[in-house]
Amino acid sequence: KDTCRSTSLPFCSASTNVSSAPALSSRDPLEKKPSLCVLVDSREISSGAEVISSLKAVHGVKVQVCSLGTSDYVVSNRMAVERKFLSELLNSVNRNKITQRIQRLQSMFERICVIVEKDRIKPGETTRFFQRTQYYDSMLSALVQAGIRILFSSCQEETAGLLKDLALVEQRKDAGIRVPTEVEGHKREMLNFYLSIPNLSYLAALNLCHRFDSVREVANSSVPAIAAGAQVSPQKAEEIYRYLRYGFEAQLLPGDLCAKGR
Amino acid sequence: PVTAGSIVVPYGHVIGNEKWRGSEIAQRLQGKIRLIFEDGLGLVDFHLSNRTCILYISETDLVAGDEFKRRLVRFRNASSHGGIVIIEKTQISGQYFLAVQKLVVLELGMVLLPVANQGEASQLITQLVSFVREQSKDHNSNPFLRKRCSQLVEPSVFRTVQQIPGVGKTKALLLLQQFGSIHRLCNASVKELELVVGQTVAQQIYAF
Repeated sequence: KDTCRSTSLPFCSASTNVSSAPALSSRDPLEKKPSLCVLVDSREISSGAEVISSLKAVHGVKVQVCSLGTSDYVVSNRMAVERKFLSELLNSVNRNKITQRIQRLQSMFERICVIVEKDRIKPGETTRFFQRTQYYDSMLSALVQAGIRILFSSCQEETAGLLKDLALVEQRKDAGIRVPTEVEGHKREMLNFYLSIPNLSYLAALNLCHRFDSVREVANSSVPAIAAGAQVSPQKAEEIYRYLRYGFEAQLLPGDLCAKGR
Repeated sequence: PVTAGSIVVPYGHVIGNEKWRGSEIAQRLQGKIRLIFEDGLGLVDFHLSNRTCILYISETDLVAGDEFKRRLVRFRNASSHGGIVIIEKTQISGQYFLAVQKLVVLELGMVLLPVANQGEASQLITQLVSFVREQSKDHNSNPFLRKRCSQLVEPSVFRTVQQIPGVGKTKALLLLQQFGSIHRLCNASVKELELVVGQTVAQQIYAF
């Protein structure tokens, strides 16, 4: 695992000389660097343990594990990251699962990034044969067309590095996670309330929790105020606004829910 | 020489840089798509549509040094086109991949797609082209651009109200029938709430 990092180092230093793009190092040294934070879905503890430990240990990123449900990682107010194994994208068996998951992400997040990670080689197995399929190419094309970013990683450590880089870029664009990620007591109840709003990301709910004193305040806020507080797009704020004012009709409730309610 | 100006790609065609004539990619693409060669495309290797173009970085480019980076940066600065960078990631050039990815995707904000050889590249280009084409016809071909059908909001509102401490299914239904929306429920006074639920719960809801 060390080889993948050490070999890339000489090239890294060369790239900063050449690129006229803003380099990551061009940060004002006097400015106090706010700490990076990444939210991790609790399911990643089992499937991506090394990603998490590497984020913490190697990159010094604050990792908050919570049940995100929809996405694997959240690196900023607007970006979700989905970690997919190469084998999952090579085989069309997973087509429905993947498209559904990404469609859900699209309804919640402005930006989505997919990290395609090479499958781990099991002990005793020689390098797995990688047969590029037409399905894989069409999947990549569809993602590109939809404006979803794709990154490629060869191991879990590299994935962690990419996550850190993404969080850094987002922070530079003023979209970094700034609110405390731990919630307790009353705030926890409020968070659960906000999380039940359809198509609201975990981070938007978290922002609402911290930037408004009560649900009443949110309900009485204008669309721009909601957008600023939750750090979401005006369209999303409008959606929240409408939802909170939605006139409920008991007759439209599906029968089974209604029956249980009585 | 940077050609930032828009090149008109006829429908169903791909315009390739003259330098690709006779290459493996060109040979494999021909027959699948209509490829036209043109001189003076400058930095770009293939134009898929008026807005999408491909820059190809070969294994030799990667090993030879930083020249290709200048090309990418020049392209990025000069053009508003969506640039897709196809890169030959082989055993030899693999070591450079991570740094190139960081430059292309994270710093330049372009798309990077690795292939193992020109054969794979031609397959990938074929798929990209078919998506560009289908997209102009109908959006539904791409599952990630499909419009979502609107769903009934009632069940979600019902669930949301149940998140208020002390409120279960029965009370949520009563409250919503009385107040109609979450907004009105939030602005209800304790007295109004007491008419629907008990005193304690009314206090709880009001305090929430």
